[in-house]
Amino acid sequence: MTEQRVVSPEELFPEVPESIFLFRSCTGSMEYPGTENAIKEVMNKLGVKIVMDPDQTCCSGYLLTCSVYKPELSLAVTARNLAIVERQNLDTYMFCNGCYGYNRELAHIMKHNPAYMQMANDVIGKQGYKYEGKTEIHHVQELWYRLKDEIAAKVVRPLKGLKVGVHYGCHYLAQQYRILDDGGYPTFHEEIIAAIGGTPVFYKERQACCGYSVGRGFTHKEETVQPHLYKKFKSAKEAWVELMTTTCPGCNVGLDREQPNLNKRYEDEFNIPVIDIAQLIALALGVPLKKLGFEANTISLDGILNRLGIERGE
Amino acid sequence: MPREKYSDKNDNLYKQVDAYNLVENLESCLSCGKCVGNCPVASLSPSYNPRQVISDVLNGNSERWLKSEEIWRCFWCAGCATVCPNDIQFPLLMMQLRYRAVENNYGLKYIMPFKRFAVRAREDGLTFAPSEKGREKIRRYRSNLGTSPWPEISDRAIAEYKELFDLTGATEHLEKLSDEAEKPVSLSYTEGRIIND
Repeated sequence: MTEQRVVSPEELFPEVPESIFLFRSCTGSMEYPGTENAIKEVMNKLGVKIVMDPDQTCCSGYLLTCSVYKPELSLAVTARNLAIVERQNLDTYMFCNGCYGYNRELAHIMKHNPAYMQMANDVIGKQGYKYEGKTEIHHVQELWYRLKDEIAAKVVRPLKGLKVGVHYGCHYLAQQYRILDDGGYPTFHEEIIAAIGGTPVFYKERQACCGYSVGRGFTHKEETVQPHLYKKFKSAKEAWVELMTTTCPGCNVGLDREQPNLNKRYEDEFNIPVIDIAQLIALALGVPLKKLGFEANTISLDGILNRLGIERGE
Repeated sequence: MPREKYSDKNDNLYKQVDAYNLVENLESCLSCGKCVGNCPVASLSPSYNPRQVISDVLNGNSERWLKSEEIWRCFWCAGCATVCPNDIQFPLLMMQLRYRAVENNYGLKYIMPFKRFAVRAREDGLTFAPSEKGREKIRRYRSNLGTSPWPEISDRAIAEYKELFDLTGATEHLEKLSDEAEKPVSLSYTEGRIIND
């Protein structure tokens, strides 16, 4: 590992890209489809063209880390998907920390182990693909951060100081090289919130993970996931967090869907809506509500929309 | 008096666990314990201890972790790796410890729930596409957004994804996956106390 770990957004993007390849996320297109749509709407307002490819498949990372797949499958899947991006000569942008982390990690392994690169290329070669390791893998939040001043200038629905608690998600900050922060005390997400008129809240457990990343929500829900999330939400509630933003639709599943269960088990009252940061940016930039897909959320956004004076039909 | 009593000493075991050669710097572990301090699972179940896992793997004493429930509690949040002064990718070790446990018929009950997701993902090219009732909801939400009712994934993508399962042995691996020979695992933590076996 010889690459720089933390880089500034200007180093990451000397030029803002004209077109990006947006990598479809399973959770972001099915469980919370408003996430993917919000990103498209915001990119459109920022003048960045989005390219997607129906030949792209699931990244396969989630079930790899649930131990039902072996790395051989995921190396081949990653190589195939990234080969498809390379055909378009674009860099890859993920909006799920899972897709980001797994593709980053597996691409890194292939680039640094010629034997694994060969193995993956032998397999996908049979389907007519070749992965060369050229496409850079980014998370879309890096672009939000790079363009935060442009975003701030386009705000038409001010957030009126809405108290937003940020959830970074683990698999971005855990990367070893070329990321925006090393996970010590990140603030880039909060800076975006402040730029669009929200009040970032540094609640105590803001860096605590969602607990769902390798299927523990299925196998150890009562033993570890719920007590863990209880601590997180308790600290968020104590800090008066009104809304939580994420950068991973997988985290949303854990944080949004689990709150009613926590309320039952711990006889507490958590009612903190959880959305992707792109949905909040889109809201601030005046994207119509029906384009944001809040109906998929378990914890209703109604209170937040009332607070911001946004009518249902807008 | 050694701090630890090592048993079944086997110098090869570290490489046996790290079969894919993904954590080559494990021996650089300083035993500083920052990983433990930053581990949300260790804070709830103190008998899960990443530093101890590394020490045991290096000393050829990983067998007791293979038989443990502790290794199945890890969230894979990489909090350990984030604070490691030597950049040890502990999650990649954990992934392989779990493979090894499963090969020895431990912890199968923690991966069997995902077999049906995996079998379905193999058909869909997507993970976690729900059953028909859930699909109806996805189509409705997506249509309300003004996008295609189903994620735009081509027949070619679905067919090739499935083919990759066959080509890499994943299909066979999934078909063989069964909990018939399951051996029990144990948790060394109860009523606020760590119990040694």
